[in-house]
Amino acid sequence: MAVKREDIITPATVSDEYAPGAKGFLQKVSSLVTGLGITARISTEKPVTIRYPAEKWTVSPRWRGALHLRGVLGRDEIPLIRHASDIYNGVIEDLYKGERLPPCVGNCPANVDARGQGFLVAEDRIPEAYELVRDRNILPGVLGRICHHPCETACRRNFYDEPVAIRPLHRFAYEEFQKVAAERLKPLPITQKQSVAIVGSGPSGLSAAYDLMKAGYRVVMYEREERPGGALNTGVPAYRLPRDVLYSEIDGLVALGLELHCGIEVGKTKPLSALQREHDAVLLAVGLQESRILPIPGHDAEGVIGALEFLWAANHKGETGVRGKRVFVIGGGNVAVDVARCALRTGATEVRLASLESSEELPAHPWEIEEALDEGVIATCSVGPEEVLTEGGNVVGMRVRECLSVFDETGRFAPKFGEGLSDFACDVVVFSIGQAAKLDSLIAGTELLVSGRGQLVVDGTHFTTSAAGVFACGEVVTGPGSAIGSIATGHEAATSILRFLRGESLTEDRTPRPVPVYAKYAVADVSGVERSRRRSIMPMARAEDRAKDFRPVELGLTHQEAMIEAARCLRCQSEICVGCTFCARTCPDYAIQVERVDEPGGRCLTRYDLDLSKCAFCGLCAEQCPTNALTHTGQYELSFFHRDLLIFDKGEMLRSGEGTRATGRDGVMPPGCPVPPRREQ
Amino acid sequence: MTLLWGFLWGVAAVATIAGGAILGVWWERKVSARIQMRYGPQQIGPFGSLQMIADVPKLLFKEDIVPALADKAIFKYAPLFVFGPVAVSMVVIPFTAGWAPLNTSVGVLFFLAVPSIEVIAILLSAWASHNTLSTLGGLRATAQMISYEVPRSLAVLAIVLLAGSLRPLDVVAAWRWWWMPLTFVAFVIYFVASIAEMNRGPFDIPEAESELVAGYFADYSGMRWASFMMAEYGAMIAASLFGAALFFGGGWPFGGALGVITLIVKAILIMTAIMWVKWTFPRLRQDQLMSFCWKALTPLALVQLVVVGVVLVWL
Amino acid sequence: MTEQTIVNIGPSHPSTHGVCRVVVTLDGEIVTHAEPIIGHLHRGIEKMAENRTYLQVVPLTDRLDYVGSMYANWAYCRAVERLAGIRVPERAEYIRVIVCELQRIASHMMGIGSTGADTGAFTAFMYAFAQRDHVVELFEALCGARLTYNYVRPGGVSMDLPEGWVEKCRAFTAQHPSAMLELDRLLFGNVIARARLKGVGVLSAEDAVAWGASGPTARGSGVDWDLRRDDPYSVYPRFDFQVPLGENGDSYDRARIRLWECVESCKIIDQALDQLEPGLVKAEGLPRLLAPRPGDAYDHIESARGSLGVYLVSDGTPRPYRMKVRSPAFCNLALLPLLAEGHTLSDLVVILGSLDPVFGEVDR
Repeated sequence: MAVKREDIITPATVSDEYAPGAKGFLQKVSSLVTGLGITARISTEKPVTIRYPAEKWTVSPRWRGALHLRGVLGRDEIPLIRHASDIYNGVIEDLYKGERLPPCVGNCPANVDARGQGFLVAEDRIPEAYELVRDRNILPGVLGRICHHPCETACRRNFYDEPVAIRPLHRFAYEEFQKVAAERLKPLPITQKQSVAIVGSGPSGLSAAYDLMKAGYRVVMYEREERPGGALNTGVPAYRLPRDVLYSEIDGLVALGLELHCGIEVGKTKPLSALQREHDAVLLAVGLQESRILPIPGHDAEGVIGALEFLWAANHKGETGVRGKRVFVIGGGNVAVDVARCALRTGATEVRLASLESSEELPAHPWEIEEALDEGVIATCSVGPEEVLTEGGNVVGMRVRECLSVFDETGRFAPKFGEGLSDFACDVVVFSIGQAAKLDSLIAGTELLVSGRGQLVVDGTHFTTSAAGVFACGEVVTGPGSAIGSIATGHEAATSILRFLRGESLTEDRTPRPVPVYAKYAVADVSGVERSRRRSIMPMARAEDRAKDFRPVELGLTHQEAMIEAARCLRCQSEICVGCTFCARTCPDYAIQVERVDEPGGRCLTRYDLDLSKCAFCGLCAEQCPTNALTHTGQYELSFFHRDLLIFDKGEMLRSGEGTRATGRDGVMPPGCPVPPRREQ
Repeated sequence: MTLLWGFLWGVAAVATIAGGAILGVWWERKVSARIQMRYGPQQIGPFGSLQMIADVPKLLFKEDIVPALADKAIFKYAPLFVFGPVAVSMVVIPFTAGWAPLNTSVGVLFFLAVPSIEVIAILLSAWASHNTLSTLGGLRATAQMISYEVPRSLAVLAIVLLAGSLRPLDVVAAWRWWWMPLTFVAFVIYFVASIAEMNRGPFDIPEAESELVAGYFADYSGMRWASFMMAEYGAMIAASLFGAALFFGGGWPFGGALGVITLIVKAILIMTAIMWVKWTFPRLRQDQLMSFCWKALTPLALVQLVVVGVVLVWL
Repeated sequence: MTEQTIVNIGPSHPSTHGVCRVVVTLDGEIVTHAEPIIGHLHRGIEKMAENRTYLQVVPLTDRLDYVGSMYANWAYCRAVERLAGIRVPERAEYIRVIVCELQRIASHMMGIGSTGADTGAFTAFMYAFAQRDHVVELFEALCGARLTYNYVRPGGVSMDLPEGWVEKCRAFTAQHPSAMLELDRLLFGNVIARARLKGVGVLSAEDAVAWGASGPTARGSGVDWDLRRDDPYSVYPRFDFQVPLGENGDSYDRARIRLWECVESCKIIDQALDQLEPGLVKAEGLPRLLAPRPGDAYDHIESARGSLGVYLVSDGTPRPYRMKVRSPAFCNLALLPLLAEGHTLSDLVVILGSLDPVFGEVDR
C-alpha cells in the first residue's frame, strides 16, 4: 500500500481521537488488525540488516577510526634521488633548501643516495640499490671498500647509537649484484652522433664516461696501464681492494658500452691532438702520477722511494724490495698508512710512520691508523724530516726534527719546528707527502696551458681547460683527494661536456654542487643500547693474520646482516611528518604526545604516543595535519586485554594503516574500505 | 508401578518441554527477527537453528547469583515450582485420536488447574528476591494470572459443553468441523487469556522490562533464569497444543502419526500467532489489563457460553 | 492510604534514556512523588570548555546531546561566529540546515522508538531505528562518524558533501514520510498504545510556558513556538514548512508531534537540496587559533528537544572565558514530578520517555 508523497499531509493537530460509539469500536479493532498487517507485510520483506558473512559490511570512505602516522621511519616508499647528472645538483639544492636533504646524501661529495640504498636493501631490492648507487658512485663495489664514507659521519643515527653501515652496504649490494649482473648489464643505446674520448680510467673518468653513455654518447677510454682503474689500480693496496672487484666493476661498464683501450698512453702511443680530431670532446682524467719527494739532504740516495712507486710495485709485483728491512715512511696521510701497511705485508721487519702532525691531527682516517697500529706499524708523530742519513749512497737512517705546530692560526699549512732532533735507523725511506701530475708528454702538441707549478690550468667549477672541447677532472684538477671526491668532479665534468656537446652554455642555469654543512656528531653513548639496535659489526680478519699478506681485511656482511643494517636507516627527511606538533596541540583530549629534536639538518620525531583510551576519534588532529602525515584508519572498534596496549607508540602508529594492534594482524581492513584518497590541500 | 510410569512420563515431559523450548526460542527469534527486518540467528547451524544448543551450555555454566538479602531456600527452589506445573500439565494433551499420555476423565480441568500452581511459585520467587521491582512484578503476576483463569476456563467450557465430556480424548473424538466457526470467539478468548496466563506480550506486565526490568525474575541468573524462560515456552507450547486439540480437533482430519504431525503443525501456527501478537502490540497497563479481563473477556466468554448453549438446545 | 514504597528507578534501568535516577514514592502502584536525581552524567563540559581553544570545544559539544550532536555543534558555532564576527558561506548554511534536519529525524526516531519500547512495542522501536540508521549512514558518509560528528565548525562545516550524497539524501527523504505514516498506524493508531499514551502526563499550555518547556514538549500542549519560524536563523525563512501542534498536552501528543516533525523535516531537506548551490563550505581567512575580541554572545537554535542556547564570554584569549548551555532537555525533565504525580509506575516510564530527555545534555 504505497502512499504517495503528496498525500502525506501533516494534520493540523496531532491529537487524534477515535470516533465515539460503534464506529470507534470498529476503529479500535481495525487498528489491531492494521498493526498485525503491517508487521506481517514487513516480515515478508528483505531484512535491512546484513546477512553475515555472505553480505559484507561496508563503511564510508570518510570513516574516522584509529590514527595512522605516515612518513616517519615508516615502511612507506621513500623518494629516491635519481636524476640525470646535469640536473642532479639542482635537485639536491632544492632538497637542501626545502630541508629535505638527508645528511648522508648532503655530506657525500657525489651526493650518493645512501638513504635510498638503505631503503632498497631493507626491502631486499638489492640490484636496484646497486643501480641507484651506481648512478652517482660509479664503482659501488670499490668505494664500498675504500671510501672514507663522509655519509656515515653525517648519519643522524650517530645521535642515537651508531651510524648506519652505508659503505659496507655498497659492498654488499655489489656482491649481490654480481649474481644478476649478466642479465642486468645490457649495452646502453648510442643515440647521439658525437663521441667523447676520456684519458684515464680512474674513478672520475669512469663516472664521467657513465654519465655520457647514459646520455647516449659513444665514449672511448684510454688507459696507460695494462689494466684499468687508475689510482685504484696502481695506488690502493690489494688488501683493501681486491683487484678482481675493480676489474669486474669496470667490466660491467664495458658491458654497458664503454670502449676501453688499455696500454695506450696518450701522448706517447697516441697524441692527444689525434683524440681531439677523432672525438668531439676530450676529457683528461689522468690523475697524479708522480710522488713528491722533499729535497732534503740524502733524498737521492739508494733506498729513498716515492709512495706511488712503492705502492705500484707492491700492487703489481707483490714485491717492494723491503723484505727483512726497516722502513721509514714520511707522511701522515692515508697513502702513508697504505705504504706502511704494504711494507709490512711485503716483509719489512719494522715500519715506522713519521708524521708532521700530532697523533690527534693525523690527516689519515682514524680507523686506518688504528688498523695499521693493530698490525704493528709504529707511529712517530710531530716530527718533520730533516735529513736522510746515508752511508755509501745507501740509506742507513733518518733524522727528524721535532715539530711544534703544523698550521698557523688561520689554518694554513705553516709548520713550526723545534730544536729537538732524533735519529731512526732504517733501510728504506718512503716519501708519502703528496703527488703531482706529470703532463709533459700528454699535452705536447696541444694548446693546453700548464701553470708554473706544472699543473693543468682548469676552471674548478666547470672543468674546462684552456682548449675548447678539452675538459679535465679528477685529481689532476683537485689535487690529491678521495676517490669519491674524484667521482664528484667526474659528474661535474660530464655535465659540462654534455652542455658543450649540445651547444648549450656551460654556466647558464647551472647549479653548482651545494655543500651543506651538517653537524658532526659526538660519539653517542651506546652503553645500554641493545645489540640489535646497533650497527652490524663488520667481520675482519685477525690483525696478526692480515698483516702477512694482501688478502682483504674486511670480510663483508651477510645478506641478513645487510638487510637488518639497512633497516636501521632512519630515512631522514623522507618523512611526511614534520614534527610541527599541531596534532598534539589541537587534540581536545590531550591524547597525543609528540617529542622531537631540532637539528640543523632538520627535525626528527623521537616520540609519538597516541593514547587511544583518551582518543575520541574527533578527527581534529588529522584535519590539522599540514602534511597529511596523520590519517584515520577504519578501526574504531578497539579493545585490548591491557590498558597499556591502548597507548600506541611511534612504532605502532607507523605500522601500515590497515593493520595495527587493533586487528592483531597486518593488512586487515574492514571490508569495503577503500584507501582514503589524500585530502586536497 | 504407577509411580514408575509417572516418573518416566515426567522425564519425557521435561525433555519434551526443554526440547520444545529450545526450538520455540529459536522460532521466536526467527519470527521476531523477520518482523523487525532482521535475520535473527544465522551463524550456528542451518538458519541458526543450533543457536540454542550453544546457549544451553552457556546458561548452565553461568554464575548462579543469589542476592545477599534473598530468602535463599525459596529463592533457589522457586524456579522448579514454576517449571514443574507446566511440565505436568502436558500429560493430558490428546496427541492423536485415542491416545494421550494420561487419559483421565478430568483432563480438561487438570490442564486448567495444574498450571495455576505456578502463581504461587512466581509469588515466592518474587518475594524471595527481596527486591521492590520483583515484588511488584510478583503481585502483578498473581493478580493477572488468577484473573485470566476465569475467561480462559469459560472459553474452554464452551467446547466442553459441546463435547459433553471433560476427557480430552472424548472432546477430540466428538469434535466436528462446524465447531470452529461456532467457538471462534471462545478460541480468541482462550488465545488472549493464555497469553496473559503465560505473561507474554502484550500482557507481559509482570515482567515489563521497561518498567520492572524483568519483574519477578529480575534477580535470577543462569539455569534458574532459564527455568523461568522454559516455563514460559512450556506454557506456550502446552497452550498451543491444547488449543489446537480442543478448538481445532487435534489431528483432524488425520489420525495416527499423521494426526500427531497435524496437531503439531496447528500448534506451531498458534504459537506463531502468539509471537506475532507479542511483536506487534504495545503492552497494556495493569489496570487496563484487569478491566479488559473483567469487563470485556469474561462477559464475552459468558455470551459465547450462552450461544453454545442455545445451539446445543437447538440441536 | 497504604504504606508507601520508595522505588529507585535507575540510574541503571532500561527506560531511563541514559543515566537518570528517579526516586519514586509509590502508593501501591500509584506514583505520589517522582524526583529525578540528575548528575550521573555530569562531566563538567562547560568548565572544560574554559580550558579548550574555540575549536577544541566543538568535539565537547558533540557530547552534550549525543543523540543530536549536530545541534550542539551548531548552537555553539553560531555563538562563536556571533562573538568573532564570522560570516558563514551560504552553502555552509544550507548544509547545516540539511544535516540538522536529518539530525532532527535521527533524534526523533530515537524518541518515537523509545516511546514504543517504553510501552512494550519493541518492533516499533526497531522500525524507527531502521530509519535512524539511514540518517546515521548519511552522516557517516558525510563526516566519517556515526555518533559524535564534530561536523559543524566555527565558520562553516568541516567537509563538503561527498559525491553522490545529495542523491542518497533525496532517496532517504523520498521513502521516509511513507515509513513514518506506517509507523503512525502501527504505533499511534493502535488502540493499546492510545490507551497507554492518551491522557497520561497532561501538561497544560500555561504550565509548559511557566516551566520553560520548549520543542515538542511545549508544542504538544499547543504552545505554537518554533525558533525556526518564530526567531528565524540561518536560511530557514526560505523554506516552507508546517509546525505540528497538539491539543491535549499528553504523552500521545508529545510523541506524535515528533513523528510529524520528521515528515516536515523531509520537506525542508528537499527544499534545501533544491536550493543548494556550489560554493565554499567554510569561511575564508579563518585563523588557526580563534581569539575573538572580549565580549559575550548568546545564540539559540531549535534542536530536536527544544530551544538550545549557548552563551559564550570571551576575554580576548584563544579560550572561552565562560560557556553556558541552555539545554532544553534539562528544562523539560524538570516537568517530570509535575506530570507523573497520580499516575502509575508504568505511566511514569512513558511520561519520562515522552519528554525525551538526553542526559548528556541534562547533566552536561
